[in-house]
Amino acid sequence: MSSAPFTHRVLPYDGMDDYLAGAVPFLRAGVEAGDRVLAVTPLASRMLLRDALGTDTAAEIGFTDSAGWFAHPSRTLSDCLCEADAPAWNGRRLRLLAEPAWAARRPLEVLEWQRVEALVNIAFTGTGAAILCAYARTLPPGVIAASRRTHPEIVKGGAALANPLYTDPWAYSTQCDSAPLPAPPPGAETLPLDLPDLYWLRQYVADFARRTPLPHDDLQRLLVAVTEIVTNATRHGRPPIVLTMWADPEDRSLVCQVADGGRWPPGADLGLIPPRPGGPGRFGLWAVRLLCSGVQIRTGDRGTTVRLRLRLPDPADGAAPAATATTVNTA
Amino acid sequence: MRWASKPVEPAYAEPDPADPDGQAMETTWFAKRPVSDVRPGDHAWLAYSGAEERDRVIGAFIREGLDNNEKVVYVTDTPAEGLPGMRARTSPDLDAFVESRQLRVIPREQACLDAGGRFVPEKMLETLAHEAGQTFGQGFRAVRLTTDHTWVMNAPGRADLAEMLGCEHRFGDTVSPSTMAMAICQVARRACRDDELAALRDTHEVLVEINPEYDDGILKIVRTFDPHGLRVEGELDDVRHAAFADRLGALVRSHHRIHLDLSRLGFIDLGGLRLLARHAAARGGDRTLVLDDLAPAVENIIEAVGWHRLPGIVPGRRRGRPEHAGGRARGTRGEGRCR
Repeated sequence: MSSAPFTHRVLPYDGMDDYLAGAVPFLRAGVEAGDRVLAVTPLASRMLLRDALGTDTAAEIGFTDSAGWFAHPSRTLSDCLCEADAPAWNGRRLRLLAEPAWAARRPLEVLEWQRVEALVNIAFTGTGAAILCAYARTLPPGVIAASRRTHPEIVKGGAALANPLYTDPWAYSTQCDSAPLPAPPPGAETLPLDLPDLYWLRQYVADFARRTPLPHDDLQRLLVAVTEIVTNATRHGRPPIVLTMWADPEDRSLVCQVADGGRWPPGADLGLIPPRPGGPGRFGLWAVRLLCSGVQIRTGDRGTTVRLRLRLPDPADGAAPAATATTVNTA
Repeated sequence: MRWASKPVEPAYAEPDPADPDGQAMETTWFAKRPVSDVRPGDHAWLAYSGAEERDRVIGAFIREGLDNNEKVVYVTDTPAEGLPGMRARTSPDLDAFVESRQLRVIPREQACLDAGGRFVPEKMLETLAHEAGQTFGQGFRAVRLTTDHTWVMNAPGRADLAEMLGCEHRFGDTVSPSTMAMAICQVARRACRDDELAALRDTHEVLVEINPEYDDGILKIVRTFDPHGLRVEGELDDVRHAAFADRLGALVRSHHRIHLDLSRLGFIDLGGLRLLARHAAARGGDRTLVLDDLAPAVENIIEAVGWHRLPGIVPGRRRGRPEHAGGRARGTRGEGRCR
């Protein structure tokens, strides 16, 4: 493992000259040091970076388009951590320039990406990775403000300075969950779960999902996720356990909510940090996050609510797989 | 022949395109039944991989017949106490059954050989018809017929395959419409070439297999012998983890690989994956748990979690394709990779 300390810095910039003045030295230093250098940016930034770095240096850098890389908060965090950890690199440090894609994100997604920025500070400890996140000052003020709370250091005029606004990652994450969840819509379908056999629960969920355009693969993921949450509630929670399902047109997702009367203990694992690979460790809630588009958890005196969200295909894409062509394997 | 018969009814059938009993090039339709579900009219086929599999299938076939006042006819040179699955201490008192003629163990010479020791299909068919014809008169409610063809296929003056196939077809034509006769034709899988095995198998409508270790209508677990492991069908979740863990734990651990045929597993929960991972870790070393024929729905879940988080577990044979070299996928799906 690299002896270099893990760093996670924010690069706020005004215009592309400012951007290049911060990003180019960061990447060049990585190439010179023999790091594994990765630049995850939109296409326009990549072109500018290549020009500024020169062909030889740019050839040493792995360029990736941010739209695909920043596909899913938990998956991206998990993959990137695995990349930083990968033993195949013989201790070569991962150096990552990240320019997250904030445009066209729904509010819930923005919240989760901001949470990931905070959790990076915990998850990457000990990896020696160097991560520089570029934030244009033209981004929405809320996004800029959050970036100041999730990065321990800030790059200004080519120097890294301690960031006085940096917030403890767990405290930040808790704040992400502080707003109460809006009530399910009036048309939501509710099923009290008093059957110990989850087979029938899955039949119910599948029946509901088939009335939506949810693709078959996503239905399978939802069934695994909801089984895990209800199993947890049955084992550790308190009755009544109630399943509620609805389609959320605003978030364009299918929502599957499991509520029970129990309260999770303080500091309970919310599955936010990927377990280290290599051992058959716990991967319950963390895997649930990987399987769903989004997971919201609220626990308190009035019980615990877990909402699983699965993105429904965008009708504008015109390529929504037909839900009728799917079957649940019960044979 | 003069056997009681029934109207022909369509059997519950299933496609079995890649059955290891033979490499059928096209989809053939068989009913596949556990031995306890074999019923009158079944002309069933068992290509066994070894003594354990044969003992457990044929032993159950014999025992259930004897327990249910059914006649059991076995053409073999092995004495009654040496029949498959009859060596256990729990075996019934065979002498009494032989005495009452409920158990008929007929030596080959008497059943189907000519004076020169050559296999004569007509004689075999006559012997079986004769024994079956006496069933009701002897006070039994049905008759179970079985013999092992391995010797016929292996003997120095071995039977011509075409002759065997003709014999099987005629035998099948007799058994299938019967309301009181059921038969299992056995052969050691390794005794025949694959094409012979497939041709013989195709003269049967029913493939018989071992009784499931577990079956609650939602999850079914069946031992497999070649390869060594389990076939897991249906849905595996928390309610059924203990049953699955028991069966998995009971497998002989010394085998280098344990294969799980998951072609009919439609659902596995995260606890099920953790269970597999724990089991693989407990096996230790380079002994692996091979997941064969993963259904896309289950593979999708494992890939979401990541193969690299399930050390000791590797994808194996894929539907319709041979096993990966070394039973392990390379490239993006191998161990130690992030995705």
